[in-house]
Amino acid sequence: MPVMPPINGTYCVSVMKDRCINARMPGKCATCVKVCPYNVYAIDEAGNVEVQNYNACVGCRICSEFCPQDAIRINPAESEFLVRSPWTFPQVEEVHYKAQTGEYMLRGFGTMGAAPEFDHITIVPSQIASASPRDKYREECNLEVVIGEDTCEQPIRLRYPLFFPAMSFGALSREARMALAIGAAQTGIMSNTGEGGLLKDETWLIKGYENEERTLKRWEPGGYLVVQWSTGRWGVSADYLRAGDAVEIKIGQGAKPGMGGHLLGAKVTAEIAAVRGVPVGSDALSPCRYYDVQNLDDMKRMVAFIRDVTDYRVPILFKLGPSRPYDDVRACVEAGADAISIDGLVGGTGASPAVVTQGVGIPTIGLIPPAVRALKDMGVHHKVKLFVLGGMRNGLDAYKAMAMGADGVGFGAAAEIAMGCRACMACHTGRCPYGITSQDPELRARLDPEVAGQRLANFIKATAEEIKMLTMLSGHSDIRELSEEDLRAMDVNTAAITGLKLVGYERRLPWWENGVSGRLSGG
Amino acid sequence: MAVVMGVRVLDANGRDLRSVSRELKEVMATGAATVRRAAHIDGLVAGLKGGEVVIDGDGGDYLGVLNDGATIRVKGNAGRYLGDNMTRGMIVVEGNAGDGAGQYCYGGTIVVRGNAGDFAAVMNKGATIVIGGNVGDEVATYMLAGDLVIVGNAGRNLGNYLIRGNIYVGGRWESLGHNTRREDLTAEDVQKLSGYFEQFGIAANPATFKKIVRLSEKPFYK
Repeated sequence: MPVMPPINGTYCVSVMKDRCINARMPGKCATCVKVCPYNVYAIDEAGNVEVQNYNACVGCRICSEFCPQDAIRINPAESEFLVRSPWTFPQVEEVHYKAQTGEYMLRGFGTMGAAPEFDHITIVPSQIASASPRDKYREECNLEVVIGEDTCEQPIRLRYPLFFPAMSFGALSREARMALAIGAAQTGIMSNTGEGGLLKDETWLIKGYENEERTLKRWEPGGYLVVQWSTGRWGVSADYLRAGDAVEIKIGQGAKPGMGGHLLGAKVTAEIAAVRGVPVGSDALSPCRYYDVQNLDDMKRMVAFIRDVTDYRVPILFKLGPSRPYDDVRACVEAGADAISIDGLVGGTGASPAVVTQGVGIPTIGLIPPAVRALKDMGVHHKVKLFVLGGMRNGLDAYKAMAMGADGVGFGAAAEIAMGCRACMACHTGRCPYGITSQDPELRARLDPEVAGQRLANFIKATAEEIKMLTMLSGHSDIRELSEEDLRAMDVNTAAITGLKLVGYERRLPWWENGVSGRLSGG
Repeated sequence: MAVVMGVRVLDANGRDLRSVSRELKEVMATGAATVRRAAHIDGLVAGLKGGEVVIDGDGGDYLGVLNDGATIRVKGNAGRYLGDNMTRGMIVVEGNAGDGAGQYCYGGTIVVRGNAGDFAAVMNKGATIVIGGNVGDEVATYMLAGDLVIVGNAGRNLGNYLIRGNIYVGGRWESLGHNTRREDLTAEDVQKLSGYFEQFGIAANPATFKKIVRLSEKPFYK
């Protein structure tokens, strides 16, 4: 598969000659040529810079960001979705690509376009008929989430109901992994290795230490490292499991449910090959299922020996893709989960067949009600923690997910964006302009782990403040008090999917009231 | 706990993994151990970094999972997923092993003197796995490194999507998987096989073995 940028659409690349240094003094500036990883710009022998291939532009806007004269504008060429849908330029180009090569498209990031989403839910503020609002500026609000309190010797105590979900070394650069550890250390949350093995640095950075000897504590309070156990088992050993504050058993993920992992050979450098224990340059494709698990009883055995290897100290988490949430969550609980992360359709990834990312799986808001119902039916709601992933952007999304019954949310794509990503969706090419999903030393050098780690911490703290504010204005002083009564669906579809009361109607839709929807979805 | 010839003997009858494992780890800190009547326990001897354990009788599933340096000898048969995800050490089974022996291993050695089932050595990433008898179907799927030696016959789809590593077969196979090809044995191969057979007391003629290697290093995406 050739490494090429995704066809996201055509971008107009405009260079304002009256501002451009090079236009006035050829040879004096070629910053845009230097920073663009897709060769959109070219410089000739006389030093003149020109736009040589606007079709190669992925819209990352790094040229615009670095231009010393603010002379570059990147804009979508036309509003094709409105005037040509379904035959937009990207769709036409995709057909051409397949016709020319006989190969399907790959791309990174998550689902594009419309899906049922949190934006169609609104929060009900507290007033005279309900508990009085709490004062965000002068009163306390508990945001802590504890995982494995009754089952493990060392439970995890998240300071905020937020975390960085699985994103592997390989999909991400070393610098990005380090930044996530530093960000988690500063906020007391957890960061997940994904299934790319463990970077040694992560183990002390995430505890807030800047040296391996753990004598220099720099970041308080320190975070938690989750190591992932998955179907490819890259870099996994007994020591790897013991290095974690929790072990996550990956069953699926939002962007490519049922497909395992895709780390393309372009990203398998010598360092990644060493950590993963695979040949340099070979595609590291995780199987879609466990070869060593045939049924739920095997999964119980797996949980048992992982607990044994880790001396019954740490929680066992499960990561689910968006499939059959009621039954899948029940199975995880039966297998022995202390927490379950469930990832929605919109969830992102480093590389995936485009049709899978775009069209497979249940949207995030459609996962929460059946998942919560499963936990309630088994009597473990809020005991076995439920985390929601997939397109989560801010405290508003997080609040809504928690009011629907989740215990917290994970930020994957949002964490990448907090590090500097502009969502150009070219993660799979290995040419990330911001060095986040690239293994190219030149591009990686653009990402400073400490700066990016601080940005992540800022993002988490600001988001936590949003959650606190929303929690308190709706009359609560603890996120555990949030409930569906704090939300209203703003349209019939959302009310039908979520079971929330519909604005204006002020009741749940009839089939939720009489429980028919529960039986239909396995409840 | 009994002591026989200086080796402590644990009776696992009626006990669970946590109970037996805790005692085993305490014993292993200072010496070798024998575990009796442990066939009902899955995941026993997991992740140990050294020492020697004898399973007197049959072992359960996931025996020696994540082994990181221990030597494990099974006098009877082993269950499924023997030595799963092993990184160092050695496991020797005098009898047969169930499906999935030696999956996901990064290193160490597994010897099964009898037969092994389907899906043995899947995603092997560096271990040496020697099967004295026959193996089932789909063996060595997506193997990335290491050696798999099958003294007897193999079933269908052997070495499917092989990436690296070597498969040596003394008998026949029903079919080879994708991305495989036969290659002539080299003098180094014969010497290596001779070493394995001598070390593990296997009566076989290395010169008669067939060698299977990968066709392409990148069979999925060009």
